[in-house]
Amino acid sequence: MKNTLKVERAILDLTQDELAQKIGVSRQTINSIETNRYVPSTVLSLKLSAVFGKPVNAIFSLEEKD
Amino acid sequence: MTLKDIYEWDKRNLERIKKFQLASRYKKVGIGMSCAAVITLITLKFTNSEPSWLHPLLKNFLLLGMLVVSISKEEIEDEYIVMLRSQSYRMAFLLGVVYVFVQPYVTYGVELLLKSEEASMDMTYFQVLVFMLLIQLLFFHVLLKKCHT
Repeated sequence: MKNTLKVERAILDLTQDELAQKIGVSRQTINSIETNRYVPSTVLSLKLSAVFGKPVNAIFSLEEKD
Repeated sequence: MTLKDIYEWDKRNLERIKKFQLASRYKKVGIGMSCAAVITLITLKFTNSEPSWLHPLLKNFLLLGMLVVSISKEEIEDEYIVMLRSQSYRMAFLLGVVYVFVQPYVTYGVELLLKSEEASMDMTYFQVLVFMLLIQLLFFHVLLKKCHT
């Protein structure tokens, strides 16, 4: 699973810490999602989608190996 | 009380047990308890007038302190932290089982080399629990540190 979290964050000019605070998670969680170490739950994905104002599948997409 | 009520009560309690954790401030309490127990245990090594009940009590106090650290929440306990925590418990359980299988033979081998007549395969609950709690705490700490990079 790949994502465009870093790009979306840059568009809104948000730091990892600010984004983490907005959705009530730790900065480590945002960092792990951005570096593809962690695939977030549906709830967290929907929260991210609400912050960026984009559908979930515009932020997250499947890769060949998935 | 109907069967449905019993089922609901059971489900509610199970959820409560599954999610049971201490507040993050208890982590410092646990560290303090463990450090105090270790320091006292080391100090007692150099004294001869130690009462027989004190040693096991301090060992239990150390275990309790480590358990408090282990079940204390992080400042922000989100789903990722929960996943890291469960990974560390899984590793601790697996390595704990391996430790129980292997350690008595290691102890036996070492004792056989050092004092060939008195070799035994004894293992205490303290050794196993300290090992498992240490592994859990170390793994969780390492996994958490990795997220910072």
